[in-house]
Amino acid sequence: MNQQRAAEAPAGAGVSGRSRGKSGRRGVVSAWVDQHFGVLLVLPAVILIVLLSAYPLVYSLWVDFVNYDFQIPGHAFVGLQNFKDAILDPVAGTALVNTVVLSSAMVALELVLGLLLAVAMVRPFRGRGIVMPIFIMPLFMSPAIVGQFWGLLLQRPFGPTDYVLSQVLGHPVTISWLTEAPWNYLAVVLADAWQWTPFMFVILLAGLTSISHELYEAGQLDGASPWHTFFKITLPLVAPILLLAVAFRLLDAVKLFDIIYIMTGGGPGTDTYTAAFYLYERGFQEFHLSQATAGSWIFLILTIPVITVLVRRLLRPEAA
Amino acid sequence: MSDGSKRDERAFLKGLSGDVDAWLRGDTSRRTFLTRLAQLMGGAALTGPIVGMSSAGRASAAGAVKVELAPPDTPLGKAQVAAVEASTKGPTDGSAYRAVQAAKKLKGATLNVTYESGLQALEPKNYSGPQWQELTGIPQNVIELPHPDQYSKPIAEHIANSGAYDILDIEPAWIPSLANGGVIQPIDEFVSKYMNTADLDDYHPLYKYLPTYKGKRWGVFDDGDQLCLYYRKDVIGDPKLQQAYKAKYGQALRVPQSWDEYSQVAQFITDQLAPKVYGTANFRKAGSPGNQFAFVQEFRANGGAFFDPQTMKAQLNSPAGLKTFEQMTAQNKASVPGNNDLDAVAQWVAWLQGKVAMIYSWPPTGRMSENYSQRSKAINFVPKSEIVGKVGYAPMPGGHGEMASGYVKSLVAGSKNAEAAYLFMQWVTSPPVSLVRVMLPYTLRDPYRLSHYKSPLYRSLWPAAVEYLVTLNNSSNEAVLDMIMPGWQDYALSVDRMCTAVWAGQDAKAALQRAAGEWDAVTQKLGVEKQRDAYQQFMKLPGAYPDHTIATMGLGVKLT
Repeated sequence: MNQQRAAEAPAGAGVSGRSRGKSGRRGVVSAWVDQHFGVLLVLPAVILIVLLSAYPLVYSLWVDFVNYDFQIPGHAFVGLQNFKDAILDPVAGTALVNTVVLSSAMVALELVLGLLLAVAMVRPFRGRGIVMPIFIMPLFMSPAIVGQFWGLLLQRPFGPTDYVLSQVLGHPVTISWLTEAPWNYLAVVLADAWQWTPFMFVILLAGLTSISHELYEAGQLDGASPWHTFFKITLPLVAPILLLAVAFRLLDAVKLFDIIYIMTGGGPGTDTYTAAFYLYERGFQEFHLSQATAGSWIFLILTIPVITVLVRRLLRPEAA
Repeated sequence: MSDGSKRDERAFLKGLSGDVDAWLRGDTSRRTFLTRLAQLMGGAALTGPIVGMSSAGRASAAGAVKVELAPPDTPLGKAQVAAVEASTKGPTDGSAYRAVQAAKKLKGATLNVTYESGLQALEPKNYSGPQWQELTGIPQNVIELPHPDQYSKPIAEHIANSGAYDILDIEPAWIPSLANGGVIQPIDEFVSKYMNTADLDDYHPLYKYLPTYKGKRWGVFDDGDQLCLYYRKDVIGDPKLQQAYKAKYGQALRVPQSWDEYSQVAQFITDQLAPKVYGTANFRKAGSPGNQFAFVQEFRANGGAFFDPQTMKAQLNSPAGLKTFEQMTAQNKASVPGNNDLDAVAQWVAWLQGKVAMIYSWPPTGRMSENYSQRSKAINFVPKSEIVGKVGYAPMPGGHGEMASGYVKSLVAGSKNAEAAYLFMQWVTSPPVSLVRVMLPYTLRDPYRLSHYKSPLYRSLWPAAVEYLVTLNNSSNEAVLDMIMPGWQDYALSVDRMCTAVWAGQDAKAALQRAAGEWDAVTQKLGVEKQRDAYQQFMKLPGAYPDHTIATMGLGVKLT
């Protein structure tokens, strides 16, 4: 308190005046806290997100336009060169095509199998409680382990697959599942479908169980065949959740990496390179970080329209 | 954390939980809630270091594991006793003794050391780590990394400036990139201060020069990964096969001297003995390094050069490249079914099961063939050898086998424990200690010192061990090296893609052309001038090309 204000203070105000001043400030702070309490609670999370997501994202934009390569000193500005390198790299093109083909094939197979399983399991039957966890188990495994497991099953000459097929078919089977097209694609799709079909199954089962029995009873009264019931009642009603499952799976499938890394190493040649594998190799094996970052942005931009379409379609029934 | 502090924490959390409930019910003020929360966070900040301190104590205690020792009357046990004596009693000018004495003064440091995960990491966990701690009081954390990550993780940590590692186990071919990138530091000052430089002359000359780059020493060599030919004496020497071969080709069936002869012999054996025995098995799986080592080895044996030394244009697409693919494709054809799926371990499995007459691979093949390695449970992922006593050793066809990978221990730039780290590197690679490490049954460390090749203890491990060690030495005299220059990782990955594309049916010329284009792009990216300088330096290394080996330079070592 300055001298003038002290002089203005009434005699005897002393201690109680200071106390009132303190409590007044406390009151202002308290009011501010009350007013912004919600903001204060979310602030730590916001700071974390900014530090861990937004900052790296902005930083990666800077990396796109400079030389950030472990093997080349300095961070000189290079304009669009990194994007040009990524676009003109023939391996990147192959990886992109592979990503589209493989992720589409995987998600389609998983959707069909998941739907069939869900339809089969929607009605209670004896032993369902035992069968269901067994179906779901692969979902909890690490993709790297899944890759290793399928790699060992399919590897020649020690994997059992060719032997079992030879016994079943009655003639020698000599398929190189991991090193010959089209078998290597099939192997990758199979391994991924084995792990992720349960995801589709669980989501679709939840969707199917939410459909009212009355609709099926009404269908029966109208004489609808099982096919009609499936296509006219089940499928339309489960469609929103089906789209949700496809959107989630597609988002994940385009990042396919672990299974490729373990089972085929991207080979033979660049036959099974996916976008994630390509970006990993450029970024973290060769340490051309700028090129890998530019490639990641291009990949992100290419992915956005697909996901946007899916999300819009997903939201349409809700809006209606 | 002590019992008391646990009790306090429980009581505090219970109180806080009550406050949260009260606040949700509206029974308490937001201020009280926030005060309590702040107290908890403060408490956590205080207990954190306490927990950390007690964890660190546990880590130290866990670090003080017992050294795994062999019975003292075995060759390995004798080598282990000798290593401890050399470290504690001397000779006092020995590198092991000097390292231990100097390191005792640095007690308190903890070393973070990278090793390839699996068997390579077992050695410092069971032997050298605890032994070093027992001698000096300096513990170490063994950080296991898959092989490709041994290159990429240190770079990532360097970029992040984390100080995560003190010592790196790296391929010599990575030295230029890691040295230029500031990841590792030269050790010349430490060497002149602590090492008995006579120990440098105990390295086989091939390995002595390997850790040098731009006139400096960037580590200590620690794993002689010399590829050699391993063959079945009973098959090659079989009189009926000998007769049939002579009748077919007009020449004696013998250990192949050239790559063309190798394919021919392999195909002949497959034609005669398959499916019981095949001529060969190769390490051709995509993404594992077999293709790159095999290609650069044969390419140079066929007279190929990597680059035009003036323009630095890749020379892969050449008659030597085409010839190499002809030979390698012929080898694949003569191999066990599923050849293109094989990694090094699968190749060993085929070999140890007696399914194959010839393979070329790394030195553990010799130890496994005699079941020496399999006495350790750690190596039970390969079967017991069914070919004990039947295996012969020879230099590679074409005479110039690849020194494929190998390991150098390098000191991390900016290590907070640089001196202690260097001293460990010196001790662990010193002649008596490194002898133990290359003799451990489960080890994948292979002999690299002249004292290893000459060691009576090693030579007594199995009847043909002398022949094995002499072959390793002779092969090193004639060896060619991986391409030790910046960008090797890029060039090597490109070779792997090229090879596997050809195995999958792509035209060899087209694959060579594409790989040459990729090499040119890498060279352009890294700078033609810089790469030209680096290539000139590489060509000066003994073993860069078949006309410039240890033997052609007159430095070859003769052993009997």
